[in-house]
Amino acid sequence: MKRELHIRVNGDEYHLLVETHRTLLEVIRDEIGLTGTKNGCGQGECGACTVLLDGEPVNSCLVLAHEAEGHDVLTIEGLGSGDTLHPVQRAFVETGAIQCGYCTPGMVLTAKALLDHNPTPTRAEILEGLKGNLCRCTGYVKIVEAVEAASCLLEGGEIE
Amino acid sequence: MKAFDYVRPSTLEEACAVLADPAGSAKALAGGTDVLVQMRAAGLRPSVVVSLKDVPGLNFIHADDDGGVTIGAVTPLGAVEHSAVIKERCPAVAQAAAWVGSVQVRNRATIGGNLCNAAPSADTAPILIALGAEAVITDGREERVVLLEEFFTGPGQTVLGRGELLRAVRVPPAPARSFATYLKTFRSAMDCCTVGVGLCATFEEGSAAIKDVRLALGAVAPTPMRARATEALLAGRELDETTIAAASAKAVEEAQPIDDIRASAAYREVLVEVMSRRVLTAACAWAQNGGRG
Amino acid sequence: MKTCIVRKGLPRIDAIPKVSGEAQYTVDLKMPGLLVGKILRSPHAHARIKSIDTSAAKALDGVLAVITAEDVPENLFAFYQWQADKHILCTDRVRYVGDEVAAVAAMDDDTAEAALDLIKVEYEALPVILDIDEAMKPGAQLIHEGKESNSTWSVDRLFGDPDKALAECDYVVEGTYVTHQLAHCCLEVSNCIAKWDKRDKLTIWTNAQAPHTQRQEVARVLGIPRRNVRIINSTMGGGFGSKLVMDMKLPIASVLSRLTGRPVRIVNTRSEEFTTAKTRYPYTLHLKTGATKDGKILVRDLTLIGDNGAYHDKGPATINFSSMMFGTLYNVPNIRFHGELVYTNKAMGTAFRGFGNPQVTFATESQIDELAEKMGMDPLELRRRNVNHPDETAACGAEVCGCAMSECMELAAKEIGWEEKRGKGAPLRGVGLANMVHTGGGGRFYGFNSAEAIIKLSDEGTVTLITSALDMGQGAHTAMAQIAAEELGVRLEDINVLSHDTELTPYDLGSWGSRATFMNGNAVLAAAEDARQSLVEAAAEMLEADPADILVEESKVWVKGSHEKHDLSEVVDHTVNEHGEPISGIGRFVDHLPEGYTIPTAFAKNIPCFSFGTQAVEVEVDPETGQVNVLRVVAAHETGTTINQTMAEGQLEGSMAQGIGFALMERLVHDDEGRIVNDRFLDYKIPNIGDVPEMKAYCVESVGTRGPFGAKGIGEPGLVPTAPAIANAIYDAIGVRLHEVPMTREQIIKALKEKRASET
Ligand SMILES: Cc1cc2nc3c(=O)[nH]c(=O)nc-3n(C[C@@H](O)[C@@H](O)[C@H](O)COP(=O)(O)OP(=O)(O)OC[C@H]3O[C@@H](n4cnc5c(N)ncnc54)[C@H](O)[C@@H]3O)c2cc1C
Ligand code: FES
Ligand code: FES
Repeated sequence: MKRELHIRVNGDEYHLLVETHRTLLEVIRDEIGLTGTKNGCGQGECGACTVLLDGEPVNSCLVLAHEAEGHDVLTIEGLGSGDTLHPVQRAFVETGAIQCGYCTPGMVLTAKALLDHNPTPTRAEILEGLKGNLCRCTGYVKIVEAVEAASCLLEGGEIE
Repeated sequence: MKAFDYVRPSTLEEACAVLADPAGSAKALAGGTDVLVQMRAAGLRPSVVVSLKDVPGLNFIHADDDGGVTIGAVTPLGAVEHSAVIKERCPAVAQAAAWVGSVQVRNRATIGGNLCNAAPSADTAPILIALGAEAVITDGREERVVLLEEFFTGPGQTVLGRGELLRAVRVPPAPARSFATYLKTFRSAMDCCTVGVGLCATFEEGSAAIKDVRLALGAVAPTPMRARATEALLAGRELDETTIAAASAKAVEEAQPIDDIRASAAYREVLVEVMSRRVLTAACAWAQNGGRG
Repeated sequence: MKTCIVRKGLPRIDAIPKVSGEAQYTVDLKMPGLLVGKILRSPHAHARIKSIDTSAAKALDGVLAVITAEDVPENLFAFYQWQADKHILCTDRVRYVGDEVAAVAAMDDDTAEAALDLIKVEYEALPVILDIDEAMKPGAQLIHEGKESNSTWSVDRLFGDPDKALAECDYVVEGTYVTHQLAHCCLEVSNCIAKWDKRDKLTIWTNAQAPHTQRQEVARVLGIPRRNVRIINSTMGGGFGSKLVMDMKLPIASVLSRLTGRPVRIVNTRSEEFTTAKTRYPYTLHLKTGATKDGKILVRDLTLIGDNGAYHDKGPATINFSSMMFGTLYNVPNIRFHGELVYTNKAMGTAFRGFGNPQVTFATESQIDELAEKMGMDPLELRRRNVNHPDETAACGAEVCGCAMSECMELAAKEIGWEEKRGKGAPLRGVGLANMVHTGGGGRFYGFNSAEAIIKLSDEGTVTLITSALDMGQGAHTAMAQIAAEELGVRLEDINVLSHDTELTPYDLGSWGSRATFMNGNAVLAAAEDARQSLVEAAAEMLEADPADILVEESKVWVKGSHEKHDLSEVVDHTVNEHGEPISGIGRFVDHLPEGYTIPTAFAKNIPCFSFGTQAVEVEVDPETGQVNVLRVVAAHETGTTINQTMAEGQLEGSMAQGIGFALMERLVHDDEGRIVNDRFLDYKIPNIGDVPEMKAYCVESVGTRGPFGAKGIGEPGLVPTAPAIANAIYDAIGVRLHEVPMTREQIIKALKEKRASET
């Protein structure tokens, strides 16, 4: 059964006709065509599909698309502006926190939301905040460094 | 996922009416973190999904006049975790909520969903039971209230009848000189709980003697359970090492764990003993410290 | 060595596309007319197929094809054709839960799923064998009818006289060690799109670690000419060995595409990935080590049974590699090795980072500590007395050229605080250490080992580098680009790496065995040298100077002693547009076989370059819950020359995390009927950010290898010694020795209980 869906993604309004059993992840990737958001498990366990819904990180594979009716979605493509990377993105690049990159969009968005709430998180808070984002490649060492570096950039500092 | 009808009612009455319709197999949807997984992997095939998202009066945290807290069923666990009122009046509930899944999961998952899904391992259940919380149930017109410890009837089963919804959870005010805590194994990973222990102990003035105690266990029986025999053993006793050891052994006797992928029954028994002892020891230290720390 | 680009921890060249969501993975590709393919898999671990009825599925609206064994070529397949034992779709028997039985192509996901539900298969259950001992019993149910037994392959190696040596040893320890099935857990699942076009050309888009050999494999199983198959890679979401050998979804999607005339995509669900994307080979290892009282290890004797799963894949190669590393880690004069592969009704094994080495090293490096304990010697000291030294040839024939084994060991021991902590740390805390050796440059297992690369300069001086080095995430593209940039004297950002298309890249064996840096890197270096020569000649001509005086750095060209720097683009523009002589280069690296090399006898001579390393860990154990907290891991690994410090650390850190998973958390669990019950991340736990301890990776440079700029591969070694180091640290903390990984909390509790019982 299809139903109208009004949704704002990265600031753009979409009016779509979407089946009621589609997830937000499916709509973002297949209907809207933004493939930066990844599917790693489809059941809330890996965080690869993380998007910000009204600024808060959610697993888009666990949200029915129609539950986002009228809401604001930010995907990785909407972060940063034009050619300029968001400080969190820059920090991931410069600290070497990216390997295969499949976890990266989700990781970056979760980190951004964490820093929005808590601009100078402790290490423990970083670990707690990113627990829902699995990475099989990096061992997380440089991801923690990236979040620390991003915090520093956002506070007006520079990456050493 | 198989196709289904989807409704987003704007009143409680309407929601309950759809759920009550005997013609269909309607399913309430709160955060969807259990429902979607079950629809995808576990063969759940509702004909209608009833979104509770736009139903007013379900998403709130209210500081009650008597010193208790009422939490709307569709309140996300993330909001429970961060609520100043909850952190002040029943911090152990905030703690239990904070230990569910990940930030992403907690932003969607609701306290009502956690309880109504009725997993034996639901993290918010043991502490709420230990605190004597009540479930406020509605059929859209009338309300009834049951003690949360009587809410669960089996794995995935509750006292909710067709067409009924959980509207809120009411946590009574904490008695004077009471200590409450929730302990879960193992927190290092994003783990579903292997064993959860919720405790609320009230002490006599100026001593470690127990006036009243409730101990609830998660993931060791078909439902979250109260360890009544252990409570009986503890009642009126001075908490010391011997009593704590006896009580922890009693808790093991009472638990009825089974083998599953996450742990064997034998290992769960080890954990029940260790964790019961640890929460009681913490309570004892708290009482001996004059109700601090 | 003075370098500008190599040895710098520069950001990866693909970091920006990845961090901005632009990078396209195979799962992201869109294509007109694309159909959804899905596979009907066996719910039984072992059964006869009595009948299949596809009529209802075929009749469903939106279904374009339904296929069973009758619709696909009858060829049998395995990585080694001489072991071929698997049909594309099962004919009359299924052998593990997940075996491919039928497949559909449909307009969309929902229809494909509905069609699968409509296929009726009648099975007759057969006895299920999940255990190697059960499988090897005389008279056991045969998993492949017509074979003599379930034991399907074996190998023996002998150096010196182990029996005589055992008699001469003052100390001998013996034990049995067990490892289990593990899942690779690439975040991007196995998936492909196949398109069989009107010219009979088959193009497959997939995430392949070895596209050229997979191209051959697809052709082989479909019985079509190799020249008709083309494989195109996209950005890859992890590999770890799982994407080395062709997955059956490739030929299945191909047949569906031929029948429908449209491209067909098949993507694993995460559950399919856990249950069918193959596993690490579980080993049962019976090991004996003997030493003299002054600590010289005289003999090692290992019998290893590998659980093959239901079909052949990389088993023999894995066990052979295990034997080579077993023979080489210490220079032990007397070695006996028996390896055997046994069929069971489980998912098949395949390559997995470390390639049989983590399993063996868990046994050997645990046993060194046991031996030291028995001798009353410090385990570090025992290791010191048996290390390999540079430029030695080990008794098993291994040529250990550049070797920093001692440096790695001493560094790791120092950094973990061995002297202060070992045997005297805080209660319930312990430290442990383990060594390892691995290949630092692939192997000669195919009877040859070579690579090629092509470089061309645009008329603006930017560089296209065509290499066969696949980037699964390990950073091969960046490493190749750095090598080319260094040699050519151009900026890193001016290099564009292409490696994605078998029609474009030179034939290559693929990215495995820490091979890319060494093999492809040398080829890239040769290509860059070739191109540089033309470049220098062109510059000399243009600047009217002697070629020997031309300097090129950071895309600037100048004559030695002159202050006038020219943009590289000027030179290229000049030579292209004035002379019609574009600049390009071709490079080939052949790792020549040693004299007398034959595949069956080469043993450790198969390895062109060894890489040693040590990890030391500190743990804390909760004796009541069995919880092991790894507090710190220090890894010191040989890199020859570190091409990119950040990436090399990243490889080691990622490996250590996988090593912690292997040691403490990961195992696929089967129920009695052979179903994997933990087919999701909530139940099959891989380390999350909260599970990993403080980790410190040291890249120890060493000389004497033939890698580009002296580099060695570092992709795999990092998870080899983690598990035994942890096992040794647990022993130091609580005095119990675990012989099985993962060392779960339950096992620790059990072992502690047994220890207490034996003490009273
Ligand atoms: C990755 C992951 C990790 C998790 N980790 C944990 C964990 O550590 N601990 C833990 O306890 N849980 C864990 N969970 C499960 C947890 O997310 C859920 O139990 C959650 O709290 C359910 O809330 P929901 O709002 O998402 O419920 P839904 O999925 O919307 O609903 C759950 C059930 O409750 C019913 N329901 C919901 N609301 C009402 C209502 N008001 N009245 C009547 N019926 C209702 C639904 O019909 C359904 O049957 C995890 C889940 C995931 C995906
Ligand atoms: S894809 Fe959504 S959490 Fe894994
Ligand atoms: S970089 Fe590959 S999963 Fe994180």
